[in-house]
Order: sequence, then C-alpha cells, then structure tokens
Amino acid sequence: MAIKKRQTISDMIDEYFQDMDRWVEQVRETLSERPSWDLKTSTMEPLREVTVKPTEVIVTVDLPFAKEETIHVEAPDSSSLEILAEMKKKIRLKELGVMHREGVIQRFHAWISLPVPVKMKKMMVEHKKGILEIRLPRKRSTQSKRKE
Amino acid sequence: MSEEVKIVETGKVPLKGTLIFAFPDVGLVGVIAGSHLIDELGMVEVASLNSNLLPPVIVLHDGLPHSSIRIFSSQDTLLALSEIPIPSDILLPIMNALFHWAKSKQVKMMISLSGMPIQDRQDATELKSFAAASNAEALEIAKEKGLEILTEGYMVGPQAVLLQHAAETGSQALTLLAQCFYNYPDPEAAAEVLKDLTKLTGLKVNIQKLLEKGEEIRLRARDVMKRTQDEMTKMKKGQEYDIPMYVS
Repeated sequence: MAIKKRQTISDMIDEYFQDMDRWVEQVRETLSERPSWDLKTSTMEPLREVTVKPTEVIVTVDLPFAKEETIHVEAPDSSSLEILAEMKKKIRLKELGVMHREGVIQRFHAWISLPVPVKMKKMMVEHKKGILEIRLPRKRSTQSKRKE
Repeated sequence: MSEEVKIVETGKVPLKGTLIFAFPDVGLVGVIAGSHLIDELGMVEVASLNSNLLPPVIVLHDGLPHSSIRIFSSQDTLLALSEIPIPSDILLPIMNALFHWAKSKQVKMMISLSGMPIQDRQDATELKSFAAASNAEALEIAKEKGLEILTEGYMVGPQAVLLQHAAETGSQALTLLAQCFYNYPDPEAAAEVLKDLTKLTGLKVNIQKLLEKGEEIRLRARDVMKRTQDEMTKMKKGQEYDIPMYVS
C-alpha cells in the first residue's frame, strides 16, 4: 500500500476555507431570488449542471442561440469557471414574454463554483447541440491512499 | 372531487374524448409538447383548475388573469397543461381532481406526455421513446400502434399518479416518455413524444415546426425549467435512474 505525502497544516486550512467559500456560494445560489437576466450587462444566466465523477468533473451549460466562435471559458481561480458567450442575435425582453421592462439580451454569462479540486490546465471543452461540455480531471488530495 | 380543488368550466367540453396531460417535468418534455399541440390544433381554453393549495400565482395572457393549470380542447381532444411546476406535496389532490373530472366527462383514454432522463443526452443521436400503460388493454393498444413498451423501472411524478389511479379504477391510461435531458428544456424529446402521440391518436401535428423553434423554446423555458428542477428534487425524481429491485 502506497501512502502519499501528508498535507501541511497550511494546505489543510486553505482547503477548509475553500470548502467554506463553496458552501456559502451554494447556499447563496439556493436562497437568492433574482431574475435570470441582467439588463445592465445585457446578459442571461444559462442553466448549468456540475457532475462529480470518480476521475473527473463534468460541467454542462445550456447555451441556446450562442455563437459557437464566441464561447469563452476561463478559470479565474483554482475552483471556479467563468463562461461568456454572445448570442446569434439580440433578443428583446418582449420576445421572451417580459413586458414590464424594455431591453435586450445579447450574451450569456455564468460563474460556476466547482465542488472538488480539479486540474484546470487539463480542461477539455466541447460544444454539442447547443450544450457546452467542460471536462476537468480531478486533483486528488495528497492525503488519499491507494491500494497496490 | 376534492373540495380543495375545483375545475371551473368556461367552454364546451367534449364527452368521450381523449385527455392529454402536459405538466412540467424532466426536460419540460410534456409542457413543450403540449404548448405545440395548442398551436397546431388551434385548441381553446374550456376549463381551469382553481385551488387554495396552489401557490399564489396567476398567469397573465392578453392582460387577463388565468389559472396556471388550464384545460384546452379541440374536437374530441382535451389537454390539461400546467405553466408552473406543481409542488410535490399537492400533486396528489391536483391529479385526483383532474382524474375525477375526466371520469365525469367519460374520457376514453388519458395520455400523459413526459420524458425519461438519460446521462450524456448531448451525445445521443437518436432518442428512444417508450410507453407505459395502466392495464393490459391499454398496453395492447400501445403495442398495436408500434410503441416500445417500458417493461421495468420506476416512475415519479404526475404520470405515476395518473397510471396508478387509472389502474385502480380499470381506466385506460398511457404515459409516453422520450429520452431527454434531466435539467435542460428538450424540444427534440418533445418532438419524439409527439410522434408517438400521433401514432396513437391519429392527430396531425407538424413536428418540423417544433424543431425549428427549438433554440427559442430552450431560451424561453429556462426559468420554468429552473423552478421545475427544485420540485423534481423534492419529489425525488432522480429515483427514475434507480436500478429496479424485484422480490419474487
């Protein structure tokens, strides 16, 4: 049985605070009631899903009307993804049945917190049928044990 | 009919017809298919469901308030459609009321339209569709029309309540399910389920129009899908993924 090197106290504290941040973000997302669109930035927040598999994290994002060549995925830090995409056309809120506000939506924007550590540099991105799929290999904790 | 739930008729309701159920569920398959049916068949509102159990929500159309659960009609076809996800704790009385109302209208066949979530849906090139029946007679009808039968598995939500009620009372009911996304609106799956509906009922529906509007529908349905996700979680919809365990 191989035992990997233990984490330092500093690593453990960092990981603890990262977990706390993720938890706070998840609670905030659950509790807040706000529109899915923002007229100041002309953006809409797309539907997304994060799935943790044994070896990877798969993030999918529903991007109908997105121009494929404008889809931009960025990792601002080690545990978040930011996604931006322009729409094929400007969509007036009235076209979506929103009659009490004037304005247009022309891009998607999403900020996604990842629930486990991943190897951002090995990110794979694909766009299939209007669904953006991002695959990220998981980064295992240095405390994990492996049976040989 | 339960006193907490009332169905108010506002138009002529045909007797001995077919009642189709289109409620928010996985991929919003039923609602997308049902909305397309209203357009395609020129269906008109003939009744609405009022209940103090429902959330305090009305839907404005042309400046006037409407119930979030309405019944539409075209010739001998009826369609019950909900524009909001039905909270899991009131699903039973709502479905009970609709079921008893359908019986009072001597409905011959009840058909619910829904989806069956599959993982990696975005990789699927062809979507399969299935039917489940309330009794042997309804099952035979589905087979005769060439529908693939869902022989084993779990079903959660309005269609489960419908099949159970119909089975208990010897009524004919079918659930049509197409493979779909769990969390994203899925017009392609709605088109598949409508293909099966046309086979079953002989209704003429232009599926191509629905597919052409696919992206627009996905955008418009985004918020209803998000709220539906919350209700699906509460009713443990994920159980449909489970491996069935049978004890003989």
